[in-house]
Amino acid sequence: MNISRVVFGFFVLLALTLNFGFFLGEIDNPDHHDVYELFAALVVGLIATVMKLGERSQMSAMLLASSLVVDLHLIAAVLVWAISVHVMDVGLTPKVMATIVSLSGGALLANLLSVVLLTMETAGYSR
Amino acid sequence: MPSSTSLLFFRRMRLPLTVLIAAYSIATVGFTLMPGTDADGNPWRMSLFDAFYVVSYTGSTIGFGEVPYEFSKAQRLWTMVSIYLTVIAWLFSIGSIISLMQDPAFAQALRGARFRRAIRNYDRPFYLLCGYGDTGRLLTRSLTELHHGVVVIDARKDKIDALSVEAHKAPVHGFCMDATMPENLVSAGLQSRWCMGVLAVTADDRVNLEIAVIARLLNQRSAVYARADEAGVAANMRSFDTAHVVRPAEEFVYRLRLLLTRPHTYRLYQWLRSSPGQGPPTMPEVPSGRWILCGFGRFGQTVYRLLRELRYEVTVIEENTELQGLPEGTVVGRGTQAETLQAANIEDAVGILATTRDDVDNLSILITARDLNPDLFCGAVANRWSSGPLFDAAEPDYFAQPGELIAGTILSHIRSPLLSHLFRRLDQADDAVAARVLERLLTDPTHAQEPEFLTVRLSKKRAPALHALQQRGFRLDLGVFARHPLRPADRLQVDALMLSRGDEDRLLPDTATELESGDRVLLACSAAAARRVRVLLESEAVAYKTVTGRELQQGWLFRKFFGSRSPARP
Repeated sequence: MNISRVVFGFFVLLALTLNFGFFLGEIDNPDHHDVYELFAALVVGLIATVMKLGERSQMSAMLLASSLVVDLHLIAAVLVWAISVHVMDVGLTPKVMATIVSLSGGALLANLLSVVLLTMETAGYSR
Repeated sequence: MPSSTSLLFFRRMRLPLTVLIAAYSIATVGFTLMPGTDADGNPWRMSLFDAFYVVSYTGSTIGFGEVPYEFSKAQRLWTMVSIYLTVIAWLFSIGSIISLMQDPAFAQALRGARFRRAIRNYDRPFYLLCGYGDTGRLLTRSLTELHHGVVVIDARKDKIDALSVEAHKAPVHGFCMDATMPENLVSAGLQSRWCMGVLAVTADDRVNLEIAVIARLLNQRSAVYARADEAGVAANMRSFDTAHVVRPAEEFVYRLRLLLTRPHTYRLYQWLRSSPGQGPPTMPEVPSGRWILCGFGRFGQTVYRLLRELRYEVTVIEENTELQGLPEGTVVGRGTQAETLQAANIEDAVGILATTRDDVDNLSILITARDLNPDLFCGAVANRWSSGPLFDAAEPDYFAQPGELIAGTILSHIRSPLLSHLFRRLDQADDAVAARVLERLLTDPTHAQEPEFLTVRLSKKRAPALHALQQRGFRLDLGVFARHPLRPADRLQVDALMLSRGDEDRLLPDTATELESGDRVLLACSAAAARRVRVLLESEAVAYKTVTGRELQQGWLFRKFFGSRSPARP
């Protein structure tokens, strides 16, 4: 067992689960989506991106790309949150909430792809 | 696929970046958890937005103070924690970046990447030079004088460092790597379409041979010029079409032979095959009689063979008695001492040649010998370029430096391929022909210092304008190159030295000689005249005016109105 691969897999998977947790719930209901969970998903996503930097294989290039997509989506979601709540003072209206959650939904897809790729790569090793 | 340099960078930066992200997120979350009060004293907690704002300016040590409300004790406590956390994380990441930058392996990789990028983006002809010793330095200097780019590779770092502080007139890129690795040569631009030639001039025959083989196989279009010290290696290189192989000892003896037998050819050869900027040598006065040869090494042996072939009597002075092929009557000793020279009967000798491997010994031999017999003809080998000034000061009648021999020979080949042809023909012709060539070059004051040689080929590709006129039936003679397009009375300083037609070469052809398609002409001219000749070859209008003395009607409209036959037949 390679400890670095464990850490790597841990972060990639954690990014997916946190993202999923945030995504779960009614799309326009602010009570179902916690800001801390979004924050955690972004931070873990960033760390996962950094871990994927500097890998050599074709698979890791795809992993890095999907991770960058995750970051882009989550940063957009966080920006929407921060601007609507703190800058424009409109609060978490159903419209705003739906935008944030759907952005995180996009990130969820990319995260899912990351995990699938990672699993495929790991499966490839054992053969 | 990212390049290896950025890969290395990101791999090393993984941990520092992770630490930085973790520190920031911990500090941000911590702030939102600390209880505080707003301006009216109501309980209040920071949102993630406010918290990230505070951490951002705290972590970067800017410090706007306590916003939006004055902090509670708990928030101040967390501020302290987050200051230490984020500042340490920053120091760690910046420290990692700096240590990475100073890492020799990383610096080397970075330089390599920059070098490869520079070679890839090259958009002008360049020469690939392997080995930056005396010869390499001379070649680089002369090639850049001719405005050719040079890419230098050498296995020794200090030589490349020395190169990087020198100033050149054309771009020079140097990189420290092993030239015997094919991939290194390729990354140095061997397969680039701008690579004009490969110059293998390292001090190691084996390496030169390897470079020549690699260059031959990986790029057939570029010419290979190589140095070879051993006769076997030289023969090996010639066997696979190396454009030009230079053996310093062979070259030295060839020039010595010219000096002894054909003084005019010698003057011409020595002049045109030295580095630029030197005038022709003075007429040598070669006495006949017994010679003394000091040193029986690689140079000494070839010189000995030459002198015997020319039926001179030779006395050899050599320290090492174990050498193969030492002739009878060899005087054992160093030649630097008067006793040894006297033992070789210096008083009644006519010339002395110092060819040991030690420059100081050679100089000492010359000085001692001259003391004993002031009328001696003195010849010497200057092994190292740096001792050139000493030899200049000692004023021997003939001396040569291997590096200069190689550089000069390769360079004259690069300047004009027909020049080698000319010397081959001169070899077969009478010495008086060389005297006439020399005279023609020297009567022109602009030539005396720096004649430029042009090889003109009357073909559709090389001389489109002239060739087109010739095809239309105009009579072209050699005088056309010397005619001034605007002032027909003036004569440009252009001399045709040789005309090659098929297998036949005509030395010093008459100006009335008619040119035929496919002819190659070797022209000697000043730099300004060379520019005019180049224009003549390419511009239809200039060529027409020069040949006929009339203006060419240019443009569709003119041709329409003033005759479609333009340019008119004669």
